Amino acid sequence: MSPSDAVMRDPGTPQATMGRPSDYLHAQHTLRSWFFTTDHKRIALLYLASITVFFVFGAIAAGLIRLCLVVPNGQIFTNDTYNKIFTMHGVIMVWFFLIPSIPSTFGNFLLPLMIGAKDVAFPRLNLLSWYVFMTGALFTMATLVIGGVDTGWTFYAPFSTTYSNTYVIPALLGVIVVGFSSILTGLNFVVTVHMMRCPGMTWFRMPIFIWTLYATSLIFLLGTPVITLALILLVMERAFHIGVFDPRLGGDPVLFEHLFWFYSHPAVYIMVLPGMGVITELVAAFAQKRVFGYRFVAYASIGLASITFLVWGHHMFVNGQSQLASTVFSFLSFAVAVPSAVKVYNWTATIHKGNIRLDTPMLYAMGYIGLFVLGGLTGLFLATLAVDAHLHDTYFVVAHFHYIMVGGTMLAFLGGLHYWWPKFTGRMYPEAFGRVGAFLIFVGFNVTFFPQFILGYLGMPRRYHDYPPEFQLLNILSSAGSTILAVGYFFPMIYLTWSLWFGKRAPANPWQARGLEWTTSSPPPPHNFAVTPRVDFDPYDYAIKAREVG
Amino acid sequence: MAEPVGIMLAEHFSTVTQQRQAAKLGLWAWLITELLLFAGLFLCALIIRIQHPASVTLAATHLKFWIGAANTAVLICSSFTMSGAIVLSRIGWRAGMLRFMLATAALGTLFLLLKGFEYYQDYVEHMVPFLSGPYVLAHDQASRLFVDVYFITTALHGVHLITGVSILLVLTWQASRPHFLTRHQNRIEVYGLYWHFIDLIWMIVFPVLYVLNR
Repeated sequence: MSPSDAVMRDPGTPQATMGRPSDYLHAQHTLRSWFFTTDHKRIALLYLASITVFFVFGAIAAGLIRLCLVVPNGQIFTNDTYNKIFTMHGVIMVWFFLIPSIPSTFGNFLLPLMIGAKDVAFPRLNLLSWYVFMTGALFTMATLVIGGVDTGWTFYAPFSTTYSNTYVIPALLGVIVVGFSSILTGLNFVVTVHMMRCPGMTWFRMPIFIWTLYATSLIFLLGTPVITLALILLVMERAFHIGVFDPRLGGDPVLFEHLFWFYSHPAVYIMVLPGMGVITELVAAFAQKRVFGYRFVAYASIGLASITFLVWGHHMFVNGQSQLASTVFSFLSFAVAVPSAVKVYNWTATIHKGNIRLDTPMLYAMGYIGLFVLGGLTGLFLATLAVDAHLHDTYFVVAHFHYIMVGGTMLAFLGGLHYWWPKFTGRMYPEAFGRVGAFLIFVGFNVTFFPQFILGYLGMPRRYHDYPPEFQLLNILSSAGSTILAVGYFFPMIYLTWSLWFGKRAPANPWQARGLEWTTSSPPPPHNFAVTPRVDFDPYDYAIKAREVG
Repeated sequence: MAEPVGIMLAEHFSTVTQQRQAAKLGLWAWLITELLLFAGLFLCALIIRIQHPASVTLAATHLKFWIGAANTAVLICSSFTMSGAIVLSRIGWRAGMLRFMLATAALGTLFLLLKGFEYYQDYVEHMVPFLSGPYVLAHDQASRLFVDVYFITTALHGVHLITGVSILLVLTWQASRPHFLTRHQNRIEVYGLYWHFIDLIWMIVFPVLYVLNR
């Protein structure tokens, strides 16, 4: 078993061959070579560009929501416009940004690199998946922007089937199509993890990010078909009045909620799990330490992906579900806390006594851990039956899931983007701007969403733009925070774009990190490695400094 | 007569075995999603049955049991011919394989024709509640739910069958050209999995809709 070129190279040394046109970015230049590429790295960048555009639209909608809520009587928009705006925010952010964010960009780029493969198992399917995503997403985006939909991102029956006068069917069709893209990506990743690992890359030598990606892909495969069916039935109900969700004919609107949340609760973990994987990578690299309890963190990922299929009923505690079912769902929802806590404790223990560097990615990681704990603990409030009766459908819920989705996934996304940016582009980002941006986002986020916990506890319902005057102070605070958050988002958008042309050239391994992706050049060559790597070391081999990797 | 059997190694795989297994695993993963897609409909059918047992029994007696049963037999035969095609592809007997594939496509088409006839009968008997015309069980509103789920389930299965037959015809055309088995024998194996699975779905649809509620 001779060690390969990739393993023996000192990861800290800049490549002599840097900038030569053989890396994946410079191998070909035509538009065709981008839009018909089967290279997983280029497809990842296609996703990155498209979800960034969708994110901007979703963020503009969020800004309009906060703008409207500055005054108590909602004079800025009409009721209908406000409903359309928050639906646009929810649909875009959930379906077109958060769900594909980490899996489709980092996942596509890093999965083959991290397991020492040349590409994913089905490269053409991978490209198809992007086209399917864009078809559905652009269709629904056009519907939301031109016509508007007022159902909220959850499309609850009977409002969506009977009473809404907006363009529900086209919006649903786009979301259904995007679901197929999720399925194809999940399928590709599952097969890649099973079949494409390089020699010596056993399951327990895989980085945690790959474990979380695998768990996420299982949710894609097992959850997405059910939402596809639920939305097809919704379209049929609206178009042909099939009656399945219509109580006037003996149907059951709560059945839609069951089918919807059977996917959409696990979808929370589609958004959260890859973020957890990213944070594990960041924490290990910036503490220069082995991940504490590696196997537990790996098992916790699979554990979360399993338990998450058993808790959907906690969205229906006050919607006419039986007491027994609610009690069981409440208990199972508490169980989610166990693997989540395993992860948080293990990150903390990994940082403990590490050789800590507070570069931008680590700042995001630290922010993530704190905010995820807050978001997770408030989730336990909502899993408690009696407390949920008070907090259901209030701003407390909004604050809770934004702590998980923005404080969690978004920070992980940005942290990972900075960490792997040198690998993606071959350029370093400006560190000082990076730290300022991370700080602004952390502060802006908390000022925006912490007041919403209090608002919700005091009884302000979600999705209303008209509220009693005594809530105005907290709402102004929240809106003010959102402007700080917006400025924070502008920072990376501007300096990362700038760095594409003017950033410092990146060495192969700027962070002295372990992992196969750092053993190849930045940016990597078209087939990732000069020689297929052989792995005879554990992941996160930070303890052995002198020996280098391998 | 027999030609060498194998597959062309794609650039990103290191061995042929790896490539074969990846294709097979990929298709199985796809089939699991298909199963879950239909599972939602089976769930709806069973919930409607629990909530409105009398209406569902009434509606189910209007289904054309014998057409459904005949179609079950047709699909079992088609699985048999598809298996034949796979076996012959493995030993490299291309001419025989092509005949079995055409037979499979023919049986699939027969299924669709019978299904179309069944829909026509439903239409003639006013058993199509989602159209604006008269509905024979209009006095029993809940029966609509079951009939609608019947149409959605069988139509969704029909779409899968139409796709299946189309792919099969293209595959047969590809396979009729020389050296196909030397380069792409795997396609026959993987397609076979899909075809068997469409049959399997019908083996669940038939009892859940036609048999269980009589």
